[in-house]
Amino acid sequence: MDQLMVNNQIVSSEKSDLLNLTQYIVINMGEEQFGIDIKYIDNIVRMQRVTRVPKVPAYLKGVINLRGEVVPVMSLRLKMGLEEDVITKATRIIILKLEQEGNVGIIVDEVKEVIALPEESIEKLAHNRNGKVSYINAVGKHGEELISLLDLNTITLEDTE
Amino acid sequence: MDVSQYLEIFLDETKEHLQNLNTQILILESDPENENTINEIFRAAHSLKGMAGTMGYERMKNLTHDMENVFSEVRNGKLKVMPEMIDVLFQCLDALEEYTDNIQSSASEGTNDNQAIIDRLNAILNGGSVPQPKKESAPTGEAASSGAGADEEEKWNSINLEETQIRVIKEAQKMGKNVYGINVVVQDSCILKAARAFLVFKALEEKGEIIVSVPSAQDVEDEKFDKDFTLVVISEQPLEDVMNAAANVSEIAKVTGDSIALEKNKSYEAVAVSMQTEAPKPQSAAAVPAGDNNKKAAPKPAAEKKQTPGKPVVNRTVRVDIEKLDVLMNLVSELIIAKNSLVAASTQEQNAGVEEHIEYLESVTTNLHESVMKVRMVPIESVVNKFPRMVRDLSKTLNKKMELYMTGEETELDRTVVDEIGDPLMHLLRNSADHGLESAEVRKKRGKPEVGSIFLDAYQDGNNVIIEVRDDGNGIDVEAVKSKAIERGAITPEQADNMTDKEIINLLFLPSFSTAKKVTDVSGRGVGLDVVKSKIESLSGEVEVKSELGVGSTWTIRLPLTLAIIQALMVVVGGEKYAIALGSIQTIEDIAPEDIKLVQNEEVINLRGTVIPIIRLSEILEVESTTAPEDNMAVVIVKKGDKMAGLVIDELIGQQEIVIKSLGKYIKQTKFISGATILGDGEVALILDANALM
Repeated sequence: MDQLMVNNQIVSSEKSDLLNLTQYIVINMGEEQFGIDIKYIDNIVRMQRVTRVPKVPAYLKGVINLRGEVVPVMSLRLKMGLEEDVITKATRIIILKLEQEGNVGIIVDEVKEVIALPEESIEKLAHNRNGKVSYINAVGKHGEELISLLDLNTITLEDTE
Repeated sequence: MDVSQYLEIFLDETKEHLQNLNTQILILESDPENENTINEIFRAAHSLKGMAGTMGYERMKNLTHDMENVFSEVRNGKLKVMPEMIDVLFQCLDALEEYTDNIQSSASEGTNDNQAIIDRLNAILNGGSVPQPKKESAPTGEAASSGAGADEEEKWNSINLEETQIRVIKEAQKMGKNVYGINVVVQDSCILKAARAFLVFKALEEKGEIIVSVPSAQDVEDEKFDKDFTLVVISEQPLEDVMNAAANVSEIAKVTGDSIALEKNKSYEAVAVSMQTEAPKPQSAAAVPAGDNNKKAAPKPAAEKKQTPGKPVVNRTVRVDIEKLDVLMNLVSELIIAKNSLVAASTQEQNAGVEEHIEYLESVTTNLHESVMKVRMVPIESVVNKFPRMVRDLSKTLNKKMELYMTGEETELDRTVVDEIGDPLMHLLRNSADHGLESAEVRKKRGKPEVGSIFLDAYQDGNNVIIEVRDDGNGIDVEAVKSKAIERGAITPEQADNMTDKEIINLLFLPSFSTAKKVTDVSGRGVGLDVVKSKIESLSGEVEVKSELGVGSTWTIRLPLTLAIIQALMVVVGGEKYAIALGSIQTIEDIAPEDIKLVQNEEVINLRGTVIPIIRLSEILEVESTTAPEDNMAVVIVKKGDKMAGLVIDELIGQQEIVIKSLGKYIKQTKFISGATILGDGEVALILDANALM
């Protein structure tokens, strides 16, 4: 956890030399907008047939074939406690590259745009509010909109239940 | 010069040379006059020395240098090869191997000078007689912790003292103060070593002044010491008081001490006579001022010990025969041509000849596939080559005469399998040598040749590779195994009566089972055969033993040629496709629902006289079966050892060659799913592990 935050800081401090910007991919999930740091993203692919894997938590939807590699896919909605995904034409799988676990795909409603946020418009949040695991570690202000920045470590962390 | 880029090559070649040396010295042992062998050894030692020198591994270079010297003399006929010399040479090789391992794991050769071996080599050079090595200086790598071959009791004499420190000590002695060397050993169980050491420091400081600490006070504070540290203390109080002060600290195992006599100290000699000391770098010590050298050398060993190597610095490589690569290259060129002709055909108006091109493409990809797999294959030679040496050593430790005969070293297996198979094989060989072969007297009595034989045969059998370890020893005493198993509570006497000999022999593979009457350090601690079995099963192989009392035993290991591609039966369960490895499948049956009977609340079928439990895959996989309850069911009969089970599926697709892919680390693999594969249409299908289902 701390590792990721530290990494983020390192990256943003590196970038501060240039423009002090961090790039995020903005995704739509229901009413809310979320941002994912672009450096963790390997690829974005269209929704495709997911092969179910038995005896795994419900949010793990199964595995897909990503150019000959078998990659696990999870539902961001189910993981965050929202209702089941409705697959539309806009549904995408974002392939994240994680240091430890390799690639993991997350299903999102829609990928909107790529934005660059300066450091001063990112507000860090305390990690644990009300004792609940938060999947968001910061909020970014982009024009008039607020974008919740996802904490990928808690998201890809296995549920303890 | 930055040589790190050559590290891989260096390690590869060093291992090759070491293996070569091992083999050649073995030959030399049986044929001391063989000129070719002597030349070969000399050349290998020479190359090793050159390589180590280039890479900057001084200790390794020094050792090989002395080894080369010995061989140079042998080659010139000035020295005769003697049995003791062979022993020293083997020690040399072990030490070199240790250096290589260190380099592989941490990029540094370690701090062991192996002075004892060098001394013995030099002794051979000088007089021809070989002094017996001191016990502590055996090439185990531990000896270097604070000066080579230091006597536990008088560690303070091997401390490297700086000139200034020596002056202080002299000064103090002149003033009539006592200078003590104190060695403090912390208990093994002590958790807060640094804290205990701190208390010792504090207690001693009340009694006098600590002028030297090895490892340095800072290192001790940081817990960078193994379990003991050595101090030089100036005090006006008697030795006993000072030692008691240290010993009163709890969790201190032992305190030894004595007045320091400077002339006994090695570095004092160095400073006084300005001669080469036994500091860790004998070569460079001559060039560097001794005091300077000592300063660096003293705290170093402790600090290095602490450094636990995490990831090996060198990646694993496969050396590939150039011909295999040529074949690959040709196939890739063909693939490009095939692709181009397809592109051309698709742009033409009439799609003439597309079919033909696709067929061509298919044949190219199949061949390409096979060739890539072949690139992963390496001969088992690299593993079994170390066995003759091992058997020779075993023969000495066990005091039995034995000979190892190997065939089929060129048999190829997947690199991952070859890497893993060494330990199980070694264990079986040790087992044969220790338990299997009888002592020479017994063999004589039984009319067998005095020298026992162990055979290691490897050969390919269809899609499998068989490795057999065979001995002409005593064989397995079924009765002994039986009584042992009953004694251990593994089986009841009633069970034992109903078991076949084969079943009883298989008990040997149970954890913590050893029939050796006495425990030797070779084998017989009961951790072994079960490990062998689980290791081989983890490689998707199996192990079997056949034995005849008084005649010998044969251990047969059967391994799949490659782990990456298997023949599988594709089935459908609840609309989902699954693969089952063909190797475990016996038959496929069409079973009517009324043929299923309940035995102890479990579903079974009676298949041609055998009662087989039924596993409904749809239940295990948590899907709705698409077969109506009144319809006949397709049942795949799988076998694991002597156990059978019937897997109920919905539909059969057919046999297919599949490439096994991992599910990725993120999904904690369910026990009965051994991986996934990608089907022709790009869909992912999971692979069921029939063994885990049973």
